[in-house]
Amino acid sequence: MWENLSLKEVTECAKDPYPSIRRWKEQTKKAVIGSTIADVPEEVIYAFGFLPVALLGTSKPLKKAPSLLPDNACSLARSNLELALSYEGDLFDGFVLPQVCDTTQHLSDIWRINFPGRYVECFLAPRQVDRPSAKYWVKEETERMINSLHTRFGKTVSDDDLRKSFALHNENKELLKDIYEVKRKYPASITNKEFFSLIKLSMQVDKAEFNETLKKVKDGLVKTEVEGYIDVILAGITCDPPEIFDLLDEIKLNVVADTLVTGSRYLQGTIGNGMSPIDALTERHFKRGFYSPIHDNVYKGFNELKALCDKYKPRAVVYIHIEFCESEEYDLPDLKSMMRKEGIPMHVLSTEFQTLSLSHVRTRLQAFFESLTGGSL
Amino acid sequence: MSEKLSSKALSKKITDEYMDEAFRAHELGKLVGYTTAISPVELFVAHDIVPIYPENHAVANLTAKKGAEICSITENLGYTSHLCAYARTDLGYRESGKTITKGIPEPDIFLACNAQCFTLTKWFQVLARRGDLPVFVFDTPEYVMDKTARQEIVKYCVLQLKEVIAWLEQITKKKFNYDRLQEVLYYSAKSSILYKKFLDMAQYKPSPISIFDALIGMAIAVYRRGTPECVEYYQTLCDEIEEKVAKGIGVVQNEKYRLYWENLPVWFKFSDHAKLLASYGAVILTSLYVHAWSLDFDLTKDPLETLAQNYVDRFSNSTIEDRAAMAMDLFKRYDMNGMIMFMNRSCKAVSFAVPTLKDILVKKTGIPALVFESDMGDQRFYSETQIRTRIEAYFETLDQLHRKTA
Repeated sequence: MWENLSLKEVTECAKDPYPSIRRWKEQTKKAVIGSTIADVPEEVIYAFGFLPVALLGTSKPLKKAPSLLPDNACSLARSNLELALSYEGDLFDGFVLPQVCDTTQHLSDIWRINFPGRYVECFLAPRQVDRPSAKYWVKEETERMINSLHTRFGKTVSDDDLRKSFALHNENKELLKDIYEVKRKYPASITNKEFFSLIKLSMQVDKAEFNETLKKVKDGLVKTEVEGYIDVILAGITCDPPEIFDLLDEIKLNVVADTLVTGSRYLQGTIGNGMSPIDALTERHFKRGFYSPIHDNVYKGFNELKALCDKYKPRAVVYIHIEFCESEEYDLPDLKSMMRKEGIPMHVLSTEFQTLSLSHVRTRLQAFFESLTGGSL
Repeated sequence: MSEKLSSKALSKKITDEYMDEAFRAHELGKLVGYTTAISPVELFVAHDIVPIYPENHAVANLTAKKGAEICSITENLGYTSHLCAYARTDLGYRESGKTITKGIPEPDIFLACNAQCFTLTKWFQVLARRGDLPVFVFDTPEYVMDKTARQEIVKYCVLQLKEVIAWLEQITKKKFNYDRLQEVLYYSAKSSILYKKFLDMAQYKPSPISIFDALIGMAIAVYRRGTPECVEYYQTLCDEIEEKVAKGIGVVQNEKYRLYWENLPVWFKFSDHAKLLASYGAVILTSLYVHAWSLDFDLTKDPLETLAQNYVDRFSNSTIEDRAAMAMDLFKRYDMNGMIMFMNRSCKAVSFAVPTLKDILVKKTGIPALVFESDMGDQRFYSETQIRTRIEAYFETLDQLHRKTA
């Protein structure tokens, strides 16, 4: 179903993947397990023979979530809750929900209470990551998640199952990295929207099938030098609605690097060999960027961005801030000031699921880049 | 023989001495450790570090109606208006020096326990950046309902407490004294029992205390836990309230409605709310918030284990179902017949649970709830007429129900 998609079909499917997931479920009779984006080890869910699906909000209207979460709750949290309660809840056989911040902690309770009888497990990610106890905890939680899936679904998972799943997921990330590398050098080969749709869909569909599409996309990229693109870095958690990528494409901004969870932070998640699968998963946890800036002192985010800027020499950084994400909001004033001191232009775009005015974003982006290029965009 | 001080005078004396020690900490060879209201402060006390709670300082300013003014200063620095009012008040104070108190001493180290919320972690990180100071995040995963998972959570927290101790030893170059910790825990345990006894006096009819008394009486439990003066204070307070009970003195005359309050208080409406409710014969008895310091240390256990257990299972770190069970216990024990559910823009950590909690409590008790949205400290988010109208309408509803069942 997802093994032979054109780039056009990828962007369409990424916008609303659920009809295809429904068809896949009907055909395969396999279980579908949803998870809000963060640090849940999706490889474990896949090793059980289930489809792990990252929930990335909905563009459909909010109907039920506003009565369950205050209006200053993270807009992704509200959107995901709406997605599950009003639109796609029946598709899922269960959910494994990560807890990484105040919002996700309460969301998992609300989810469990609103889906009585359904499998709803939480993954208690450590909110400190620099000490030995954090490693102990990730291992404990990974084992608890495996036991929980086993108890609920009556299936077992072997080390071999896990290793096969790791290999498939690693392959997916390597393919995406390869495509990213081509995109950096040859921006006309693939649009921002197409590329980030490839990542988004990778987080939602069966990789055994989708990797075939990625291979074909990779082989089909036309490596032609085209002038007129401006290199930029995207920072933040997610970039939504996807039409923002259209705006970037429209003014010929080429995303050469990013710190998005629905971007490079996902690609950092390859799993090493040479140790037990659980140990390998534990090691991986600390080698990728985390979902929430809750863990990190702002220096880490700054150093990461600075390193990317040093490496890729972009014209500017565009920080995509999800409205009401507190963790970002505590960091942003200092981050902006640090970037300013470095002489790196940074534009903060506040985005909101469902209610964002795109014309407003277009105007701001255009004005920012016109000012950078002396009105020659 | 000196005359025994009243609880009010004793509270002032303890607070003055505490702040004096805090401001002279370096002179006394001690460090100032900023920490969160819910955190294993016993480790600080045992290691001779003076604990300071920027939240308490913020509360003093918010109660004095300085919220909007000081928060605006922070917003001018680029922080959004929907961040915690405690944090905004603190950051504004540091920028401008504005405060109605003498301020608080500058920190040397930070211990952030996220059983309360993650906001404090980020807020402390902002403060730590100003002086490149060390921050320790004591991570308390949600105390989920699965018993085996709970055991693992406590183990994880014990491991971290050992890391806190190693961190303190490294910073102070001083060996941690476990015997001293045991002594500190003894005082914490004793004062917590008395604090709970004080809160539980709201069970009497008429109730000799309201939540406003509980909120005032809570301060010493927050910042002087682990000391003999904390024990003395709560003993004095309990004795005073017992006297009121013996004389049948209630907070309001003709007590009619005994209310539960969900969330933190609206600090700047403290006395207004008390007066308004009293005019309806209503008294707010309690909340989970004031019970957060009803700690229950088991002195027969390993001190780190009982510390971990206590700080991980606070209401703010429990599941909504557990939180509802805790509230239901209070409803039954205090025989409450009304509830006010405050959706606090400043405290997402507590407020996210409110709609679901309200549904559960209304279903279990059959009592209607008053829900209103505002902010605990920033007056710009408080709509006087709207909230007053809601309160009036709520009591009309309760009166109707009362008449039907009478």
